[in-house]
Amino acid sequence: MILTPLDELLLFSGATLLVALFIGRGLAAGWMVTILYAGQLLVLLKMASLGYEGGSIASSLSFEVLGQTLSWRFDALSWFFALITIGSALLCSWFSSGAWERDYIKQGGNIWLLHTAMALNVFTMLILLASGDLLSLFIGWELVSWAGFLLMTLAGGVAAKAAIRYITYALAGGMAIFGGIALVYSVSGSLQLEAVITAVEQVSTTKLWLLVILFGGGFGVKMGLLPFHLWQAPAYAETPGPGSAFLGAISSRMGLFAILLVLVKLFGIVNIDNLKVPFTLIDARDLLAWIAVFTIIFPTYTAMKQNDARYLLAWHGIGQGGYMLLGIVVADAMGGAGGLLHVFNYAACQAALLLAVFAVIYRTGTSDLNKLGGLVVRMPLTFMVLLVGIIGLAGLPPMNGFVSKWLVYRSLLNQGMPLLFLATIIGTLGTILSVYKLIHNIFLGQLRLEHEHVSEAPWSMMTPMLILSAIIFITGLLPGIPLAWVGSTLQTVGLPIPQYTLGGVESASGSLDMIWVIGVLFAGFGIGALVFYSAGRSKRVHQLDNYAGGHFLSADVRYQYSDNFYAGLMHLIGGWYRGSFLWLERGIGSLVEFLSLTMQGLYRRANAEFYLLTTALFVIAWVVI
Amino acid sequence: MIPAITPELILYVTAIGLIAIGLAGVVISSHLFRMVLALVIAEAGANLMLVLAGYRWDAVAPILTSLAEPPMMVDPVPQALVLTAIVIGVGIQALAVSILIRIRQRYATLDRNKAAERMDAEIAATLGASRDISQEAPLGERPLPPLPADQVNMRGDAS
Amino acid sequence: MSSNLVLTIALPLLGAFLLPVLMRSSVAIALWSGPVILIYGCWIIVELWLVGFTQPVSIAIGGFAPPLGINLYVDSLALLFAFAVQLLGLIFWPFTLDQESARRQSLMLLLVAASTGLALSGDLFNLYVFYELAAVATFGLASASGKSAAYVATLRYLILSGIGSVLTLFGIALIYSQTGTLNLAHLAQLAPQQLNNGLGLTAFLTILIGIGVKAELFPVNTWVPEIYATASTRLSAFLAGLLSKLAVLIILRLLLLIFHQPEAAQVILILGILGVVSGELAAWRAKEMKRMLAFSSIGQLGMIFIAMSLPDGQGMVAVIALALHHLIIKSGLFMLAEDWGGAIERLRGSAKASPLGAALFVLFSLSLVGMPPLPGFWAKFVLITELAGQVEPLYLLGLAVFLLATVVEASYLFRVAGILYGKPAAETLSEEIPKSQGLALVTASLFGAGLVATALWIAPVGDGLQAIATQAQDVDLYITTVSPAISGGSQ
Repeated sequence: MILTPLDELLLFSGATLLVALFIGRGLAAGWMVTILYAGQLLVLLKMASLGYEGGSIASSLSFEVLGQTLSWRFDALSWFFALITIGSALLCSWFSSGAWERDYIKQGGNIWLLHTAMALNVFTMLILLASGDLLSLFIGWELVSWAGFLLMTLAGGVAAKAAIRYITYALAGGMAIFGGIALVYSVSGSLQLEAVITAVEQVSTTKLWLLVILFGGGFGVKMGLLPFHLWQAPAYAETPGPGSAFLGAISSRMGLFAILLVLVKLFGIVNIDNLKVPFTLIDARDLLAWIAVFTIIFPTYTAMKQNDARYLLAWHGIGQGGYMLLGIVVADAMGGAGGLLHVFNYAACQAALLLAVFAVIYRTGTSDLNKLGGLVVRMPLTFMVLLVGIIGLAGLPPMNGFVSKWLVYRSLLNQGMPLLFLATIIGTLGTILSVYKLIHNIFLGQLRLEHEHVSEAPWSMMTPMLILSAIIFITGLLPGIPLAWVGSTLQTVGLPIPQYTLGGVESASGSLDMIWVIGVLFAGFGIGALVFYSAGRSKRVHQLDNYAGGHFLSADVRYQYSDNFYAGLMHLIGGWYRGSFLWLERGIGSLVEFLSLTMQGLYRRANAEFYLLTTALFVIAWVVI
Repeated sequence: MIPAITPELILYVTAIGLIAIGLAGVVISSHLFRMVLALVIAEAGANLMLVLAGYRWDAVAPILTSLAEPPMMVDPVPQALVLTAIVIGVGIQALAVSILIRIRQRYATLDRNKAAERMDAEIAATLGASRDISQEAPLGERPLPPLPADQVNMRGDAS
Repeated sequence: MSSNLVLTIALPLLGAFLLPVLMRSSVAIALWSGPVILIYGCWIIVELWLVGFTQPVSIAIGGFAPPLGINLYVDSLALLFAFAVQLLGLIFWPFTLDQESARRQSLMLLLVAASTGLALSGDLFNLYVFYELAAVATFGLASASGKSAAYVATLRYLILSGIGSVLTLFGIALIYSQTGTLNLAHLAQLAPQQLNNGLGLTAFLTILIGIGVKAELFPVNTWVPEIYATASTRLSAFLAGLLSKLAVLIILRLLLLIFHQPEAAQVILILGILGVVSGELAAWRAKEMKRMLAFSSIGQLGMIFIAMSLPDGQGMVAVIALALHHLIIKSGLFMLAEDWGGAIERLRGSAKASPLGAALFVLFSLSLVGMPPLPGFWAKFVLITELAGQVEPLYLLGLAVFLLATVVEASYLFRVAGILYGKPAAETLSEEIPKSQGLALVTASLFGAGLVATALWIAPVGDGLQAIATQAQDVDLYITTVSPAISGGSQ
């Protein structure tokens, strides 16, 4: 039997899982797994033609169960997502090897389970990405859900609670998808991917709506789309370090992958556009776009109020998913490219940010934003990584996030959607404010006494962070590199492809060349530096050597402005935070609780025979009459 | 139109009436022994029904007395079946009564509600959990009301 | 060869009556005779499979040909369940070496004999007799735990079951008055003409409700939480795992062979939906393991009833798959509950003390929820694709309820898993945390291994189930097998 590259990839990934499972207890386990992830990346690069030229590679693994054929294959879309998956797994696992791992074990963590769960996540994600029919898609989907559950529940306590909440959401989503697949099957009698196309052609408008809701809702749960976003932040934030970064970077994107595959590629944006909401002027596509926009705004502003760095980033990550969906729903060349490019850019930024935060936690033992500050001198490299990350995430030049967000904005303007554009701008404002809070409260301001002897994170953790920063900068400078992959992915899902160059995008309605932008920017920096260094000598003082109003400030006086950050803004918008979604979730919980109580009561009444008889009489009467 | 009252009709009505009386008795009575007795009545009705199912008014008992071509005979199968059913019924009744004796010994009551109450209490005690429903207390703990907005923990975890 | 099968009923029955007598003379012989009988029963069936059992056979008892005589109808489905009965009887055998256990063992043998009879019998009245025998054995075993609560629970069960048997008998009488026969094959032949009316439907419904008591059909299943909470876990496992499935099997046979009215299916569908809703919701806030399992079992049986209600036996594969799956899962879970019965909150931290038990619990839960590629997923998959293909809105409601119930199920099962893997409260002594161990754990692992094996060989298992379902669905085959003579024309 000849193994196709996809077989090799899946086997390699499975082998990684087995290695983690059986010899993942040793101290060098982290390094071993990291090397194996690197191997997976190499095998994936063997398939690089997919990412540049499109096409597809089938797996020789295929079998038949109960009359259904299960098959797996890779195309540009799968390859693009797999690249991000394995890349983030590699770097996160690298981060965990060595110093972090030793510390984790010392604190009573189970490193074996962590490695195994990570490897399992990667393996199941690859299986999902490779799915070649609806059945294997669903199987992959459920596997990813449960693998994620395993990783999230590792830390126990709060994490386990969050994980159980996650699995309830995920399973509800999974069941919606199951229902959707069953609906497709009932119409077309097949579970091949093409069955969706057949089904769309044949069913009534009501059922089309049902399909969009079932698939969109089901896949949306994993993306954290409103109103199914509540589970995500606690579940991701409470996962141990590298796991959290990995989940934050890629896990939610599996939902986007499935949406791209089922709703965009098979269902077709045109068909979604044709679905009108009764009695209004909007259609299903507008609805999706607005959901995406609200997914940007609400979680981002929730992130702003977080006082835990991990939660801040996790909430923030939910919002970024909105940009991706928005770009794809706009569905012109620039929007699609922007949305997909943001998947890549966001993964790099989020991983860098979370790893930086976990490096800080490693050194200081806390992620509470009110208990940190002034670490810029103690951990300058980590500060740099975090800075690069937040610039990227906020969508400012010269980092890569700027390119993808620019593309999305541009497409919104090109397509004449000013309201959506305005809303995204509000979202971006929230992003900038919240990431500023992050960097300010950790690195700027007053150094705490207890952190005086904190030193830079060890190299085993620093290296992957620096690599991520480099990726963020380089793909910002030369967005043509990822745009090539994005281009063939867009082609695979049937969206238009923009004209791209190494430095950006060319189009009649507006071009972008990052090499120029960054050139100008750095020229500006150069002039600034020239002015700074020629203006005279600055005096270096110790970080704790501070004066205010002529008084010496001793280190034990707290003067850092961190608690109740953005007090003025909160005064304006504070009333808007009503926790309505939480209220809704609780309401549903209470309803189930109440129904459950009623049902238990039903089974616990003394006179059971009475039911029997009434039912018997009722049924017989019904039938005879 | 009132159908002609035949013995057959009377018997059918009796059978169904017995079942109805028995089942109603089981539902209504509050004493466990009466419930068992009501069950016996209902079973008698069902057995009568079964006998009637194969009975023929113009035929003789199904006993082969000579080798000659027999006259019309009553269908013997239901009668055999009824015998079996009666035997089973008696067995179950005996079992029921013996269990009743045990209940009387242990709980000193044969009131159905009291016995059920005590059973619930005992199950709860052996399982080491609080009881969900009792006649004295309100229905268990109340479901949690949704949180008011000012108590919402914005981390989004449900604690 | 196949006539040996009678022994699978006769030997346990004989054993059940001789055991108390044997006990007086030799304890050792008495104690070993039960298992030996069951092993021999298993062997008879395995041997039948080994020589290649494909076509169904009918065994006339005592040499009287049906429809006059009583017959056993043996097809792959019946054989499968008969085997399950013997095997589970062996697995759940009450191994204790005292005088008291003789009674329990002979009741167990009686239960096995009656259950095997339920699986194999081809005569309606004979089914009734076996059904009552099984009921008597169940009452005896349920009250054998000696707890006062068990007596009350048993009596309540007995009365419910008594009403059920009155209704069943009434239905049988109706059928007999219409057709003059109780042989299933003969009835299958006569049904289209003589039972396709209101009276026939009434007969079916009374039998449905009567037998539904054992099949945990809503709403005649109020005994379930009480009995499972008071009886020994082994008995609960046998009842929830097997006896309920046998009752389902009888209803399925009646539905397939005799009652083709759409109303019959509709009633089953509605009751099934109500069963799923009530069972799963009640389980959601159950605070003790055994009651949770009991409620969840009601929900699962509801799902089986939904599958059964699909017209023209389309849900046959789903019914068999769900039934067998539930048989394995619930038996396993009840075995775990032997040590972990009682308040769920008490189990906090048990995973550390007994990692295998906790892993098994997670495995069973995953399969019950329908996580691919475990067998539970395939069983649910078959049902869902069949349900989605129906046009009646009621079936789509069933589909929606089914999907929602799965979410509720996952929620409560994984809450328990979370407790198992959680950290115990600071003041809890490690001795206080219940451990899953001993024979119960071994038995549960056995079921776990079976589950994993099924998952690995899912394709052949699926094909096998399909073949069994096709065979069981074939009404003509049933009729011709039982009475070749009468198959040509009417009697």
